[in-house]
Formats: sequence, C-alpha cells, structure tokens
Amino acid sequence: RKTALNALYGLMQSADPIRVLVTGAAGQIAYSLLYSIAKGDVFGKDQPIILVLLDIPPMLPVLDGVVMELQDCALPLLREVIPTDKVEVGFKDLDAAILVGSMPRKEGMERKDLLKANVAIFKTQGAALEKYAKKTVRVLVVGNPANTNCLIASKSAPSIPKENFSCLTRLDHNRARSQVAMRCGVPADAVKNVIIWGNHSSTQYPDVHHAMVNVHGKEVEAYSAVKDDSWLKGDFISTVQLRGAAVIKARKLSSAMSAAKAICDHMRDWWFGTLDGEFMSMGVYAGGNSYGIPEDLIYSFPVHIKNKSWNIHDGLPVNDFSRAKMDATAAELVEERDTALSFLSQ
Amino acid sequence: MCITNPACCTVFGTITDRTMRVSYTNIWYYCLWLKDFRLHFPRATSFAAHAYKRLTGHLVTTLISRNRGDLLLLEQWEDSPSYHTKMSAEPVRVLVTGAAGQIAYSLLFGIAKGDVFGKDQPITLILLDITPMLPVLDGVVMELQDCALPLLREVIPTDKEEVAFKDLDAAILVGSMPRREGMERKDLLKANVAIFKSQGAALEKYAKKTVKVLVVGNPANTNCLIAAKSAPSIPKENFSCLTRLDHNRARSQVAMRCGVPATQVKNVIIWGNHSSTQYPDVHHCKVNMAGSDLACFDAVKDDDWLKGAFISTVQQRGAAVIAARKLSSAMSAAKAICDHMRDIWSGTPQGEFVSMGVYSSSNSYGVAEDLIYSFPVHIKDKQWKIVDGLAINDFSRGKMDATAAELVEERDTAVTFLSA
Repeated sequence: RKTALNALYGLMQSADPIRVLVTGAAGQIAYSLLYSIAKGDVFGKDQPIILVLLDIPPMLPVLDGVVMELQDCALPLLREVIPTDKVEVGFKDLDAAILVGSMPRKEGMERKDLLKANVAIFKTQGAALEKYAKKTVRVLVVGNPANTNCLIASKSAPSIPKENFSCLTRLDHNRARSQVAMRCGVPADAVKNVIIWGNHSSTQYPDVHHAMVNVHGKEVEAYSAVKDDSWLKGDFISTVQLRGAAVIKARKLSSAMSAAKAICDHMRDWWFGTLDGEFMSMGVYAGGNSYGIPEDLIYSFPVHIKNKSWNIHDGLPVNDFSRAKMDATAAELVEERDTALSFLSQ
Repeated sequence: MCITNPACCTVFGTITDRTMRVSYTNIWYYCLWLKDFRLHFPRATSFAAHAYKRLTGHLVTTLISRNRGDLLLLEQWEDSPSYHTKMSAEPVRVLVTGAAGQIAYSLLFGIAKGDVFGKDQPITLILLDITPMLPVLDGVVMELQDCALPLLREVIPTDKEEVAFKDLDAAILVGSMPRREGMERKDLLKANVAIFKSQGAALEKYAKKTVKVLVVGNPANTNCLIAAKSAPSIPKENFSCLTRLDHNRARSQVAMRCGVPATQVKNVIIWGNHSSTQYPDVHHCKVNMAGSDLACFDAVKDDDWLKGAFISTVQQRGAAVIAARKLSSAMSAAKAICDHMRDIWSGTPQGEFVSMGVYSSSNSYGVAEDLIYSFPVHIKDKQWKIVDGLAINDFSRGKMDATAAELVEERDTAVTFLSA
C-alpha cells in the first residue's frame, strides 16, 4: 500500500510546471507573497512552479537577494526562479501573472496622483501579455489604482479574453469578513458571502445584506447576528473602506502581509473554484452584468468560480441603500476610466 | 496527469488502521475523488461515506457523486488529533519578540496559518516589542485580523514582560539588535546579554515550565545560553537556538549542485555556532538521485567544492543576502523558524535528522560542555536527542573544535557582562 501511495506521489510531482510572473518582485508585497506561492499554497501542493520575477533595472541587485532567499527556503515545488527586468523574458509563455508593481502609496498620497504614471506601466504590460504570454493566462492586477490599471492592461491585450483579467478586492473582502467576525465573536471563516462592490478605493461598498454568520453551528443572517444596523450601515463600512490608510498610518508602510494573503486567496479560488453556496469578491469586467453597472469597467462583484472561469452571482436583491453606494463607486470608476483613456491615447 | 479541482481540500477518511487527511486550506471543506483511490482501497467508498455522514450530514451524497472519476490526493498525517476536537482545542500561547520587526513580519503569518503548531491548533499570539514600536505593532495586529485566519483566537500586542511571558507554551525570541552591513557579531554581544538576561528571568517568573524557547536574535547561541542560565527552573533542554537556516541553505546548495529539489537532500549537519565559524558537514548526507539514495560526496563528485567553497558559501550566505537586499534574510529566516518549531512540536521523520543549537552537556562528540552548540538531532514527543555515533574524521574534527572555541570565548565574555 505504501508503494502504491509513493507511486501516486511520483506521478503527481512530475506534473508540468506552470509559469507564474510576479511584477514589483523586489518590493514589499512580493516579499510576503513569493514564499506562499513557492510553497504550494496557491496553485496546489503538487504543482511545480517556474517563478518569474520582474522589476525595474535599479532593483536587480535586491532581486538577486530575493532569489537567494527563495533558494535558502529549500522548497520542493520551486523548479526555477528567473529574475529579470525585461518584459520579453518576464511575460513569456505565462500561465498566471500577478501584477503587483506600480507606484507605492505613501501616507497622504491620493489615488488619482498614481493614475497617470500607472497608465504607462499597464499599457506596456498589457501589450507584453498580448505579445508573449499564453492566451489562457490569468492576470491579477494588484498595483493601485487596481481596477483602472486592470482595464488598461486588458484593453492593451485585445486578443486575450477580457474574462482573464481581474483586480484584487479580496483584501477588502477579508477585512469585511474579519470585522463582522470580531463583532460577533466568531472565527473569521464563520462569516460567508460578504460582498465588496465597485472600486478598490475609499468608495468601495462592503455589503453584508447577503452575508451569513455561523453562530454555534447555525447559519444566521449577518444583520441578525450583529444586531446593530447603524454600525453595519455606518462605521463598519467606513472602517473597511479606510483600513488601508489606517494600516499605512500605523506601520508607515502598505499592508503587505494581508495583501499577500488576499492575493493567494484570490488566485487559489480562481484556480480551484469556489464552493457551492459561497461567493467571493473579485474585480471583473462588467460587460453584460445584470446589476445595472455601466459596462466597460473593471468592477468588483460577487462571483462563483468553476473550471478557472468566474460568473457573477446574479439575482441578489439590491435595496435603495445599496443601490446608491453601488452607483457612487461606479461613478468614480467611470471618471477614472475616462481620465485613464485620455492618458492612453496620448 | 492533472489533478482537477482539489480546491475543496480537506478529505477525511480512515483506511484500515491509519488515519489519512489531506488539507490545502485552513478551512475544512469536504471533497472526495474516487478513481485511483478506489483502485487501491476498495472499501474506501463505504467507510469514507460513513466518515462524512458522521461529520457533515447531507453533504456526503452530493460531494461523492459530483466528484466521481477524479484523482485522489493523499497525504499521510502523523499524530493527528481527532477531527471533533478541532476547534475546541485549547489555544497554545505563543510569544514572538521583536514583533514589529522584519523577521516577525514574515513569520507571524506562517504561525497564524497553522504551519507550525498544526492545522487544528488554535493560537493565542502575543507580540512583544519596545515601547516606541507600539504604533507599528498595532498596524501588524490590524493586518493579522485582515488575514481572516480561523486559528488565530487572540492577538495581544504589548511592551510589558509580565504580559508577554505569562503562561507561555512557546517563545520565539527574535528581538535583538539587527545586523547591518559590515557590523561584527561581537558588537552585538554586550547589548544582547542585557536583553536575554531579562527575558530569561521573565520566562522563569511567568511562563509555563514546559515552555519551548527558540532563540533567533544574534548572537543566537550565546543569547540562548544567557536566557537558559537566567531561567534556572526551566529545563535547559527546553532552550534551543536557530541553525535551521544554515541547515536549509546547506541542503539547497547541495541540491542545486546535483540538480535535484532540496527535499531530496537529507541529513546535512550544521555543527557549532550560528556564525561564520559554523561547520556545514555533508559526510553523512544523502542525496536522492534517480530513485536511489547516494552518499553526498558520491552524488556531487567534487570533494574540493564540498570541503571548500560549499562551506564558505553557507557560512557567509547571511552576509551575501544583506549585501544584495540591504536588509537581513527575513523570508528564509522565517521559514527556518517555522521548520525548527514545527519539528519540535511534531517530531522529525524516521531516518532523518535536523540541526538545532542545543545544550551541549553530556554530548558524545567531545564538544565542550555548558554551551549552546548546534548538533544533529532527532525529535520525538517534543524532546530532542543528539544523533550519536556518527563517524568524525580529522577534517570535521578540526572544524567542530574551531567553532566550539569561538563559542567558549563568546560565553566567557557574555558571562562577565552577566555579572557586571
């Protein structure tokens, strides 16, 4: 029996490696992220990985240090690590791309300050995906402003399906879950089906009208479990919206650890699917959505995922309170998009 | 061969007399694939269904029929607590010092996720740092909350020893003066004696006597000895220092040389001090190549490298990473800390030994007593035992003695600071 198991193992370990790119690879978020990817927490404990690390030329010595450390971690799934500053190396034959690299947010900096510089970055990277990556590549955009950067990248890679692009709102989703969980005195995984609508910014709308909390073995609606509607419609929302700034203020640095965790959650769920009855938040292409959100945006919706494809969870009732908030964040995204498109054509 | 949909990834079942469990995530989902599994374990279907029914009720039928035909993923899991005690287990109290710093930032997530103390072991995490770092520590606490990790019962940030060391099951003492490019290890000695004397006394006063203490902050061996001496009623065997990073570095250097994954290199040894006098010894190391275990010297076929550049590469790797990153090796150090602590908690696999800095008294290798010295150890039931009887040639003897001499000198200097 033991030999049969070993034989099974042997077959599994010889699976073809996948090529995974992380940009901004010499930076803070990547430093928290790379280890989890290389360990197998994202793509599976039997999926060997070729990890491609892209950053700008001045960061190449630091990147060498990161490569040394990954070697020193002695991780069996890591077949190869390729540090580079060249897009033709970075984007070649990719199965997955996690675009972390962009201008980092410092205390006091507005998100719109980042927009112009980032349009240039993501236009180039979208074009590189178009030219070098597999057409099946799954792209997760993290660098802020994530939704608009994702849209720009997607528009610059016209022959890659728009559905293959997404942006990260899972961090906000996890923050919303944990706020509700702490309020109810339960572990964070006892809270399901929170939704983050819209932009990964201070206009995001954390919505718990459809969330369920497991209290002493019973599934209870979040509003009934929390028993504080004014908190759920007030401070809860602003806490989640402004959490990023609160962490920067305390740490003097962006939230690398929790962002890395959210990136792993997002990518793992995209790869392996969501459970029946559960949905997660992802920034995805809004074309054809049934919630009255303007098309041609990357907007965060509740999604199911199966066979590496997401589907927006349709049919959730939307009350007036939610409607207004969903529209407000959509309006901000429309404005960002229009500004970005003007930079794009320059 | 591809594995489809192992997403819902905790499978629970019993095969004859062994308990098997597969886990990917901290969240216990149920999913069962039946094709090859059924081939090897014909009775699986009925008992697995029974196991699920006992635990999850209506989920059983749906999952089995949905996933029929896929490949089963199996992983042996030793010493597993039974499922029904999963979330009701008493949390372990784990302290990390230097908690607002770089290494802790890479480490805390791995601990809170369950990689160290087990995927069913809830944790109370205590974070100690100096008063000026408390605002940064608050940011770290926020991030840990935002990770939404089910095992993390409580996070307690503090600058007070009486809070931090209370009732501890495990203490990871990372906090000390960080090493900057060009700084010698002896520069750190004096300041660190004061820190570890105080922390040893706090362990003595507040922690459980069963506490397992891992000292990381450099100079790790001597800091560990000072802490142990300052906590006389806690067994010296409960104290260890980290040489697992050097051990992992040695493994990976040999692995890269042989073109195999690092996990196919076993039983390297780090002897002595976690410093540039450490001796990475591969005379007893085995490399699994093309299905068979080769002695390392036969696999590498380059004695000069193994007795020369290999040793100096491992010895100086820390400095090389600092030169490149301009910061200490947080990621790989955190990984080594997790490996070291996890092996203390769950034991080492049969036939494999790991390197740990432990109390040297009564060792059979002629190493001076009353030191914390890195040896090859087995671990079982949270107790380590030095692997005795390994043949030591003249080359190794020379190097083992040199690093012991450095440790004796460090100890003697430190002890003078201790009484000053």
